Amino acid sequence: MSRHISEQYDLELAQIKELLMEMGGMVEQQVNHSCTALVNHDDALAEQVRDVESRLNQFEVELDDHCVSIIARRQPAAGDLRNVVSMMKAITDLERIGDEADRIAKMAQRMTDDEPPTDLYADFRSIHENVGRMLHRALDAFARQDVENALRVIEADEEIDQAYNSLVRKCVREMRDKTEGIENSVNMMWAARALERIGDHSKNIAEYVIYQVKGLDVRHGGDTEIDPSED
Amino acid sequence: MNEVTNMESNVDSPAADDSLEDLPKSLHVNDLSLFYGDAQALANVTMDIVKQKVTAFIGPSGCGKSTLLRCFNRMNDLIDDVHISGRIEFDGYDIHDESVDVATLRRKIGMVFQRPNPFPKSIYENVAYGLRIQGEDSKAVLDERVEWALKSAALWDEVKDRLKESALGLSGGQQQRLVIARAVAIKPSVLLLDEPASALDPISTLKIEELIDQLKNDYTIVIVTHNMQQAARVSDYTAFLYLGELVEFDDTDTIFKNPKEKRTEDYITGRYG
Amino acid sequence: MNGLRQFVRQWFASGEPWIWMNAAAVGISITAVIGILGLIAVKGLAHFWPADITLIEYVDEQDQPQQIYGELVELDALPVSQFLEAGGPAAWVAPDQEVTERWLVKTGNRRINPPDFRFIYVGQIKQISSPPGVFAVERIEWGNAYGQAQSLTVGRESPQRVNPQDIEATLVERVARANEIRGQIDEIEGGVLNRINYELERLRLEARGLSLQGLESSARMTEIDATRAELQAEYAIHEADLRKLYEQLDQDTLVLGTADGRTLEIDLADVLHTWQPNDMSTLAKLGHYTSAIWRFLSEDPREANTEGGIFPAIFGTILMVLLMSVMVTPFGVIAAVYLREYAKQGPFVRVIRIAVNNLAGVPSIVYGVFGLGFFVYFLGGNLDRLFYPEALPAPTFGTPGLVWASLTLALLTVPVVIVSTEEGLTRIPRSLREGSLALGATQAETLFKVILPMASPAILTGVILAVARAAGEVAPLMLVGVVKLAPTLPLDGNFPFLHLDRKFMHLGFHIYDVGFQSPNVDAARPLVYATALLLVIIIVALNLTAINLRSRLERRYRGVES
Repeated sequence: MSRHISEQYDLELAQIKELLMEMGGMVEQQVNHSCTALVNHDDALAEQVRDVESRLNQFEVELDDHCVSIIARRQPAAGDLRNVVSMMKAITDLERIGDEADRIAKMAQRMTDDEPPTDLYADFRSIHENVGRMLHRALDAFARQDVENALRVIEADEEIDQAYNSLVRKCVREMRDKTEGIENSVNMMWAARALERIGDHSKNIAEYVIYQVKGLDVRHGGDTEIDPSED
Repeated sequence: MNEVTNMESNVDSPAADDSLEDLPKSLHVNDLSLFYGDAQALANVTMDIVKQKVTAFIGPSGCGKSTLLRCFNRMNDLIDDVHISGRIEFDGYDIHDESVDVATLRRKIGMVFQRPNPFPKSIYENVAYGLRIQGEDSKAVLDERVEWALKSAALWDEVKDRLKESALGLSGGQQQRLVIARAVAIKPSVLLLDEPASALDPISTLKIEELIDQLKNDYTIVIVTHNMQQAARVSDYTAFLYLGELVEFDDTDTIFKNPKEKRTEDYITGRYG
Repeated sequence: MNGLRQFVRQWFASGEPWIWMNAAAVGISITAVIGILGLIAVKGLAHFWPADITLIEYVDEQDQPQQIYGELVELDALPVSQFLEAGGPAAWVAPDQEVTERWLVKTGNRRINPPDFRFIYVGQIKQISSPPGVFAVERIEWGNAYGQAQSLTVGRESPQRVNPQDIEATLVERVARANEIRGQIDEIEGGVLNRINYELERLRLEARGLSLQGLESSARMTEIDATRAELQAEYAIHEADLRKLYEQLDQDTLVLGTADGRTLEIDLADVLHTWQPNDMSTLAKLGHYTSAIWRFLSEDPREANTEGGIFPAIFGTILMVLLMSVMVTPFGVIAAVYLREYAKQGPFVRVIRIAVNNLAGVPSIVYGVFGLGFFVYFLGGNLDRLFYPEALPAPTFGTPGLVWASLTLALLTVPVVIVSTEEGLTRIPRSLREGSLALGATQAETLFKVILPMASPAILTGVILAVARAAGEVAPLMLVGVVKLAPTLPLDGNFPFLHLDRKFMHLGFHIYDVGFQSPNVDAARPLVYATALLLVIIIVALNLTAINLRSRLERRYRGVES
C-alpha cells in the first residue's frame, strides 16, 4: 500500500501494528511456557506465565486505546478502516489466547507429581506443537498481510479439533480404566481444551487477515473459495 | 463478492435488496465528455442517478465533479467556449434537445450552491422569487407555498416572525437552508447541491445533512462534496471522479468499506495517488 | 555620520515620513477647500448686510471741502509711489508714508452723481460719521439712492404733503402699498396676459400652418378667427385693469436731500424697499439681511443682472441638471448593461470600453460645438422642418435651448455613468446570477430582479459624478442654450408646461456674465461671490441627496458583495 499523505497517520498505524506484534510474541511465549510447564510439571515456569498474564491485560487495554484514538481522530475508511477494525479484534483474540495460556499454567500448577499417563503427554505436546505453529503462522500472516498463510491457518484448525477430540476420548478412557490419576486427566482435558480455544482464536486472527486484505468476511462458513493470487 | 459485502450493509442501503440497474432512474448520463476550450473536464462519463436517493460526487479539486453536476441543469451554458458531447437524459428526454427550454429544465432541476447566495431581498421574497418568475402573483398561493417551503427546509420556526426582514441578516447556516427552501419552493424533482455545507460550521452542516435526509423522500438529490465523511453520512450512492473520469460508482457502503478501484481507495484513505 | 544615516534610513523604513506626507496632503486639500469656500461665503454673504450709511467729509483735488453719503465697502492699500505716479495730490499723503489707504465707497445716487462707486483716499477724509435718519432707497432702476428725507407727497390728483414727523411711517406704508399693487400687476402680466399671448401665438402658428397647407377657408380657420377675437376682447379687459393699476401705482413722490445739498425726486412707483440702516438695531438689521437674501434667491435679475435676484438661473440650473440626469441615467445604464452582461467579452468590447473611458477626457467645449452642430442645427433644424414649418423661418428647436443643453451635457457625462455602472455590475457576485438562473429565471429576469437593483448604488455614484460635472459646466452651455437673460422660465402654466425649446439661465454662466460682462464691475462683484456660493451649495445639495440615497441602498445590500 502506498503511504498516506499524513506521515503521522502512517506512523501511528505502524506503531499499533508493532505493538500488536510485540503482544503477539508475548502471547506465543506464554503459550509455549505454559505448555512446557504443564508437561514438565514446572511450577516456577507456570508461576512466571501467570505473572506475565497481568502485563498482557495491560497491553490489551493500551492497544485498544490506540485503536480507538485512531478511529476518533482519523476516521479511517476502506482499507484503513478494515485494518484498524482487524487489529482491534486481533487484540481481543490475543488477550483471550493469553487467558487460555494462563488457564494452562493454572492446570500445570494443579498437576500432581503422580506418574502421568505418558501417551497423553505426547498427544498434548503434539497438539501444542500444532497450535503453536498455527498461532505463529496466523501472526505472521497478520504481520505480512499474507492471505495464503491465513488460509492455511484456517484449514489447520480442523486438524486441531480432531486431535483435541481424540485426546478427550483418550482421557475419558483413561478415567474409566483407572481410578487414580483422574485429577491429572481432568486437568489435562482442561489444558487441551484451552489449546483448542487458542487454535480457534488463531483461526480468527487469520480470518481478519482475509477481511483486511480482501474486504471479505469469511467467518461462520462464509465464502471460503478465496483465490489468494487475486489483487 | 457482492453478496458477501451485503451481509454488512445496513438496512436502508438500497443495494441490500435491489441492484442499481433495477431502480427507477431520474437522470441517465451516457458517454458524456465536456471540454473547456481544448481542456477536457469530463471524459466519457456514464452513470445513472436513482430517483429519490442521494447520490454523492466525490473527488479531488478539479476532478470535474462540480462540472458534471452543472451539466444536469445546463449551468455550463453560461460559460463561453464549452463543448459537450454525449447525452444526458432527464425523465427520458435529452436535456440538450433543441425543444428543451433551459428555464423550464432548471425549474425541474433545482440547484444550491457552495456559498449561501440569498438575494438582497426579504426572506419571504427570496422564497417567493421562483414562483414570481413563473408569474404567480396570488398572495394566498405565495403565502402558502413560502410557508411550506420554509417548513420543508426546517427553517420555518426560526424565521416565521421575521419574514419581511432582509435575508442577509440570517446566519450562514440559515441562509443556506433559506436557499434550499427557495429551490424547493418551485417543486423541482431533482435537487443539485454543490458543496452545500463547505462554507458552514459543523452544527449548521449537520442540520443541512439532516435536511438532506428528510428531503430525499420527495426529491432526487445529487450532492458534490469535498468532505468524504459527509458523503458517507448522507448519500446512498457515491461516485468517485478523478481527472474528469468516473473512476468508481457504487453504493456508498461499498465505496467506503471496500472500494474496488485502487484510486478510490487511495483517495478516501488519504494516500498519494 | 553613519549613525545619522542609519537613523534616517530607519526613519524612512518605519514609514513615518510617509504618514506625515499623507497627513500633509490631506491637510493642504482641506485647507484649500475650506479656504475657498470661506472666501466665497464671506464675500458673498456680507453683501446683503445693511451697512451704515456714512457721511464722509473730505477735500477734493481742488482742495474744496465735499460731503457725500455712502456705504464703506472695502479698505485697500496701495504704495505711495504708485499713487503719486497716477497723479495723486502729494498733500493727501504724509511725507514718510510708503503705503496709503483708500476706501471703496458705494455712494449710490447714480443718476445725479455718477459713478455710484468711488475711491476716497484716507488722506482726503476729514471726518466719517453715521448721521441718524438717512434713508437708503432700493429702486427698480438706477440702483440705490441715499439721502435725508425732505418731503413726501401723496396722491396725484390732489397732492398732499405729509407732515415731516410722519414721513417715516407713511413711507413704509406707501412702499408696502406700491409693492402690493406691483404684485397685482405682475400677476396679471405674468398670468392671464401671458397665457393669452401664448394662446394667440399658438393660434397664429396654427393659422399659418393651415394656410401653408392651403386650407385657408376651412371651418377650423373660422374657429380660429373667432377664438382670436374672444381672446383679444379678454386681453382688452385685462389691459384696462392693468392701466388702472398703473395709475394707482404712480401716486407718490419722495424727495431726498443728498449730502452736498442737492435734491433727488423719487417716484414711489420705482421704489422696492426703503430702510434707515443708521437707526436700525442689530435685530432689525438681521431681519433686513434675511429678507435681502431671500429676495436675492427668489427674484428676477434687474439692471443687466447687477441688481435683483438670480431665481431664473437657479431654476434653470436645477431643471437642466434634472433633465440631464433623466436622459443620461437610462442611456448610460443600458450601455453598461450591454457591455457587461450581453456583449461577448473580447478585444472589440475592450476597445469600446477604452473609447468610452477616453470620451470622459474630451474637453467640454468640444461637446458644446458638437451639440451646436449636431443637435441644434442638424436635429433641431430637421425637427423644425418636419413638425414646425409654420413657425419658420423663426426656429423652434433649431436654435439653442434647454433640451439641447441637457442632451449635450448628457453626452458629456455618459461615460462616467457607464464606467461606474459597469464597475457595479462587475462587483455583483456570480453566485447571485447563478442563483437566479438556477431558479428558472431568464437572463433578462435576473437582470431586472436581481442585478440592476443591486447595482443601483453604483449607478447612483455615476449619476452623482455626472450631476457634479454637469452643474458646474459652463463652456458648452454657452453654445447650446444658456443666455444671460431669459424672458421666461422653461417651466410655466402654459401647455405643455415644460418648454424644452426655450433658452434658460444658468448659475455658472451667470457668474461669468455678471463678473466679466457687466457694465458695473463694483456693483457686480459681491453678486459673483454670492452666486458662486449658491452654485456650490446647489451642487453639494444635489450630491448629498444622491449620496444619501446611495448609502440607503448600500445598507440594504450590505454583506452581499464579497
